[in-house]
Amino acid sequence: MSVETQALSLNRPKVAVPAAQRIAKPSLWDRHGWGLLSVVCGLSIWEIISRFVVGNKLFLASPSQVAVAMVELANSGELWKHFSISGLEFLIGYVSACILGIALGLLMASSKVAKQMLQPWVSGLYATPTVALAPLFILWFGIGIFSKVVVVALLVIFPVVINTEAGIRTTSQHLIETVRSFGANSRQIFLKVTLPSALPFIFAGLKLGIGRGLIGVVVAELFGARAGLGQLISQSAETFNMPALFAGVTLLAVAGIALTSGFGWLERRLLPWRD
Amino acid sequence: MAQDANSAPAKLSVSGLSKHFGDLEVLRSIAIDVDRGEFISIVGPSGCGKTTFLRIIGGLERADAGEARLDGRRITGPGKDRGFVFQQDNLLPWRNVLANTEIGPEISGERSAAHRARMIGLLKLVGLGGFEHYYPRQLSGGMRQRVNLARALAIDPDLLLMDEPFSALDAQTREIMQTELMRIWEEGRKTVLFVTHQIDEAVYLSDRVLVFARRPGRIQEIIDIELPRPRPLSIKRTPQFVAYVDRIWKMIEDDVRASVLEEHG
Repeated sequence: MSVETQALSLNRPKVAVPAAQRIAKPSLWDRHGWGLLSVVCGLSIWEIISRFVVGNKLFLASPSQVAVAMVELANSGELWKHFSISGLEFLIGYVSACILGIALGLLMASSKVAKQMLQPWVSGLYATPTVALAPLFILWFGIGIFSKVVVVALLVIFPVVINTEAGIRTTSQHLIETVRSFGANSRQIFLKVTLPSALPFIFAGLKLGIGRGLIGVVVAELFGARAGLGQLISQSAETFNMPALFAGVTLLAVAGIALTSGFGWLERRLLPWRD
Repeated sequence: MAQDANSAPAKLSVSGLSKHFGDLEVLRSIAIDVDRGEFISIVGPSGCGKTTFLRIIGGLERADAGEARLDGRRITGPGKDRGFVFQQDNLLPWRNVLANTEIGPEISGERSAAHRARMIGLLKLVGLGGFEHYYPRQLSGGMRQRVNLARALAIDPDLLLMDEPFSALDAQTREIMQTELMRIWEEGRKTVLFVTHQIDEAVYLSDRVLVFARRPGRIQEIIDIELPRPRPLSIKRTPQFVAYVDRIWKMIEDDVRASVLEEHG
């Protein structure tokens, strides 16, 4: 009996749900177990190699040494200082790039002239390795926070613009026409069809921006900063303090993972209709 | 208006309706009066302009000449007096069944608690009671078409316009949807214009069948279907029914062959 006829004769939603959608939620082990095991194994191998094969923390610090360094840095307040400076630079650059990027994407999607005028700049600058210009921005804007904010914003804005524009443009004309058949005006069409339909694209752009923004912070700081995780890393490299260097890198990785999975969570909350 | 003096005024009155797409003459002076509560099907070969005709009535397309009047008011654009059921279900994937059904009232700003109760009743009517909070991706094709129909009925339209709504469904589901549509129609007796490729579907559902010809698209013949209602599916095997189907098929056969040759040549 097909789903269709069951729904007809019984009117019981439980019966009509396709079997594939009734599979129980996987257990915690099924979802994370193998990943966790793999990370633990990797760290163990790293620990063994750095302790017994390399044996010199100038060349390779072991995970335990990195952990010790991190605790020391945290206790001295250094870690928080660097982390908060980098975090602030990232936050200001990222948020302003997202707002401006979505606005520009909407503009490009809604106006042919704007699209034609902006497209060469967007394509060109997206392909340009903007981080290479970081020394220039430091020269222009100084070694304070602002130069890093500019680098972050420049790296983040283009994927956001491109995805927003693509998301708006790929909205199904059939859906637009359907809503139009009910007498929707252009504002209603935008709010009820175009925007929700573009949201997954916009989210993808914002997610791409996270990784690029973090790279921007660190690279800009490497070229000259008073504080920040990038500065911690470059300073540690100059003094051959490998445990502190790895502590900085680890913290960046953790921040990246946390931001990306936070976004994944937000996406599932805001776009429950997907997958 | 061109109609008999002794009958009630027509629900929908179409006169001299013509339409070109560039050099192509899609419709040539279509004229038809449709009575309140009538079920009218439109059949014809591909490219005979039947969908364009429906879209003009829906206000989604403009005619070059002629006019269509609904209750005496000239149709100039989409409106909430007409409910359009599209060929693809065109459900908004981010809205659940209930929210999809409500889109029409929502657009005209008529949402209220009483409305919500009516929507739920409507979903029961189309056989989707209990599915209010499902997303379209969780539904089968037939169920999605039911939502499509409920969405059009939600604005309580004077005229229901259906553009090959069952063409994407498999044969069994299609037959069930035909009987379901009849059941729903018997309850409210909306005036319906129904475009289809399937001649038997048109005969089964309709009071009258408009047979369109192509190049240019025009009404070739209007056939009254004098079969008793309600019609069980078994009526499709009666000689009377088969005779109607044969008669219509013979009318459009040459045109259909020509259009098939064109599409594959």
